[in-house]
Amino acid sequence: MRKIVVILSLILSVFIFAGCPPQKVVQPTPAEQQEMQAGSEAQESAKKLSGTKPSEHVSEKQLARIESKEEPSASQYKEVKDLFEDIYFDYDEYQVKPAAKSVLQKVANWLLLHRGARVAVEGHCDERGTNEYNLALGDRRAKSVRDYLVALGVPSGRIDTISYGEEKPVCSDKTEACFSKNRRVHFVILKEAGK
Amino acid sequence: MIKKRKFRIVLVGVLSALVMQLSLLAADAKVYVDISSPAFRRLPIAIQEFTGPYGKDISDIIRNDLDFTGLFVGIDKEAFVESPSSPFNAKNWSSLGAEAVLKGASSEGKTISVSASLYDVYPGTAILQKGYTTSKEYVRLLAHTIANDVYYLLTGEKGVFKTKIAFIAEGKGERAIYQMDWDGGRMSKLSSGGNMILSIRWARDGSKLAFSAERHRQWAVYLLDFKSRSEKKIFAAKGTNIVGDFSPDGNNVILSSSKDGKPELYSMDIASGNATRLSSSHGIEVSPSVSPDGKQVAFVSDRGGSPQIYTMKADGSGVKRITFDGSYNTSPSWSPKGDRIVYSGRRGTNQVFIINPDGSGLIQLTSQGNNEDPSFSPDGRYITFTSDRDGVKGVYIMRTNGEAQKRISPKGIKAFCPRWAPDL
Repeated sequence: MRKIVVILSLILSVFIFAGCPPQKVVQPTPAEQQEMQAGSEAQESAKKLSGTKPSEHVSEKQLARIESKEEPSASQYKEVKDLFEDIYFDYDEYQVKPAAKSVLQKVANWLLLHRGARVAVEGHCDERGTNEYNLALGDRRAKSVRDYLVALGVPSGRIDTISYGEEKPVCSDKTEACFSKNRRVHFVILKEAGK
Repeated sequence: MIKKRKFRIVLVGVLSALVMQLSLLAADAKVYVDISSPAFRRLPIAIQEFTGPYGKDISDIIRNDLDFTGLFVGIDKEAFVESPSSPFNAKNWSSLGAEAVLKGASSEGKTISVSASLYDVYPGTAILQKGYTTSKEYVRLLAHTIANDVYYLLTGEKGVFKTKIAFIAEGKGERAIYQMDWDGGRMSKLSSGGNMILSIRWARDGSKLAFSAERHRQWAVYLLDFKSRSEKKIFAAKGTNIVGDFSPDGNNVILSSSKDGKPELYSMDIASGNATRLSSSHGIEVSPSVSPDGKQVAFVSDRGGSPQIYTMKADGSGVKRITFDGSYNTSPSWSPKGDRIVYSGRRGTNQVFIINPDGSGLIQLTSQGNNEDPSFSPDGRYITFTSDRDGVKGVYIMRTNGEAQKRISPKGIKAFCPRWAPDL
């Protein structure tokens, strides 16, 4: 009786082990099997070489520091700053607000009187967004102001637009008061040199 | 008598079947770390301080490299019983639970020579025994080379330990493009600097870096060509020009330009300068990122009223919106594996999110401070991004599941817009 029990339990354990999951949790896909092979091949070659200690010389080709070429300014204009106050925008918006219209009228009137001058319209954003999107948003703010000035009679050829996104803030506090100061268009008058 | 004999025969038969089964199990190729398995087990590894000059620095770098992968559990140095100069004895390590042990020795003469040995504790044999030589300035690189060799042996995959990250750093109002090792070591300047630089992007062969810069009130796209060691202005149409991404063959740059009125996406042939328009909507289109196979482009558009992430085919057709959660989602970057897109979404503050290209599987990866401009490592296992959680914007890295977030740019330096260099 005991012998039968021993044999039966041995047979049972064979079946148990036969049903045991393989050592790995997941069956390898052909790609994974290739990786494993590469790993074990590396082991094999390392084992073969271990007696002779293979050696590797480590160095690197450095990327050179590249100098920029000096770009002369194409402009023969002189900047006149702070002739006009900044105008402000709502969050994520680029439409000209009603409060800005009186300033824009002043800018247009001045430009129509001083025919040799140009205006650079700078679009700015507050820091809360991401840099690239803010650069694009600043561009739209500057252009919407340009369109408004053109509608007031200023020839478009005398208006330059540029965006600085969130890159040139006037303040850096993380408060709504500061954020709203940064959501702006800033005017820089460019007078022809000598005039 | 006959019964006993029969019993013995049966017993032998069954026992041999048992032994065969067990040996079949053992005959499977030894897998140290099966990183493809969803429930893989971290490998306990002991990295002992190397003997000789630079020995501690080298083993510290290797330990840091392997630790960041999340695939290993480092055995605490304090628990080691074997001294660095003693020969390897498996009994000293199996008691600590280590399954792999790295030991090494360095010496300095005209060059620095290091020998490294990696032991598999259970058979008690060496699976790597290799020598390395280098000059003093490349000691860190040598350590990373050893880490790569260990990583490859234990996982079957190529490590990222010799890769670099380029980024923009700002000091005293001036910005310049820099490069550092993936762990923040050996920072060096790549460009001579300027006032207003934004958005750096590598070509896939690592020979060129494009960036956007404003000079004399004009934003243009510039190219740093490392083969000819020159900087070239490649796109300066009147408007705001922001670089997006290279095509896989490096001959085209997809960029955003407002030259036709408002920011749209264009594909520009670098050699000829010709730009083909890819998008047209009544909104802003910016930040294109080309998929690894070059067939699709992820980008940001506010055509729906708020900035969201869209994908389109490389010719501009087949536009699909993929983000629907949150009202401000920007800065998409495609994984080199093609299976995921990482981006920055604003939920009060800016956070890094990861999503499948079809818009499913959204996961938030960061929560502290403002986290922007994310992009992947060349093997798609790690993400680099900008974070201001320490006060000043710095370059951070993390695993793609959000674990192990850490700063790698020097503390206190304003560093941003990181992009992992291709692994060549």
